[in-house]
Amino acid sequence: MGDDFIADEIDRAIVEQLRLNGRATNQQIADRLELTAATVSARIRRMEDENKLRVVAVSDFSAHGYNVLMEVAIEVDGRPASEVATELAAFPEVFAAHLVTGRYDIDMLVALHDFDELSDLMLNKFSKVRGIRSMSPAIAVDIVKYKFDVAPIEARTAA
Amino acid sequence: MDDLDRQLVEILSTDARVSNRKIAADLGVTEGTVRGRIKRLQQDRLIAFTAITSFGLENSTKMAFIGVLAEVERVREIAKRIADLSTVNAVMITMGRFNILAICLFNELDHLHTVASDQILSLPGVHHVETSIAVKTVKYDARVVRITETDHIIDNDD
Repeated sequence: MGDDFIADEIDRAIVEQLRLNGRATNQQIADRLELTAATVSARIRRMEDENKLRVVAVSDFSAHGYNVLMEVAIEVDGRPASEVATELAAFPEVFAAHLVTGRYDIDMLVALHDFDELSDLMLNKFSKVRGIRSMSPAIAVDIVKYKFDVAPIEARTAA
Repeated sequence: MDDLDRQLVEILSTDARVSNRKIAADLGVTEGTVRGRIKRLQQDRLIAFTAITSFGLENSTKMAFIGVLAEVERVREIAKRIADLSTVNAVMITMGRFNILAICLFNELDHLHTVASDQILSLPGVHHVETSIAVKTVKYDARVVRITETDHIIDNDD
């Protein structure tokens, strides 16, 4: 579904305007691109319906009270890596989880309010997940850049 | 952030194009309150409004993690230079297996190779890069980020 959707120049120009200001009105975007507000509105709706676009508020880690961010690489043993990743992804602290190539099998990002939460996460949660052979963390001491305007989009749950 | 801020963020993180009037009606506050709160949240860099496109709309379809071993005394300067690369979406200075982690979106393998082995590895002070490609994303929330730059236009309509 939607795999044959092809964005044209107009779609891309509208997306570019929305990246700068997601709250710009259809009329403001239309004026800038020499289109009509109806065209802008229809194009945005089409891309949203195809699950190709979301215009959203993104919030800072600090808005959620997250002060600790770490990347954890995991080696899996005796169990499919996808099963282990799915189980790990269920924890709210696991912010992102990917199956990866290379020496490790799963790469995940973990966000915590403070370091005190780490012991509960390790000893009571991660330790219950079968198939983890090793976990190697890299603790973020400074986030220089963290900006994703291209990401997987899930279908909206039917309203 | 208080409860009203949180409710606002909740609504806007689903759809940023809802009008102030509709938000005000849904939350039982005035439009002026909604406008003022949004502006403050933007100014404090707690939220920003942007467009997120799926992997399919762009040509960049795959994500890679690039672990970088760099000289410790130059790590901040090197991290900044990596962050300047447009294909690199995230850069963190880390303590662990490596001291910089870069996350990169790419469409062809040779582009990734260019970023990792040519652009990053050739920076003075970089000793080693280790690349790992995400073949499947199990969980990802693009709505939580670090708002560092002021490249988003702050809402000041009506």
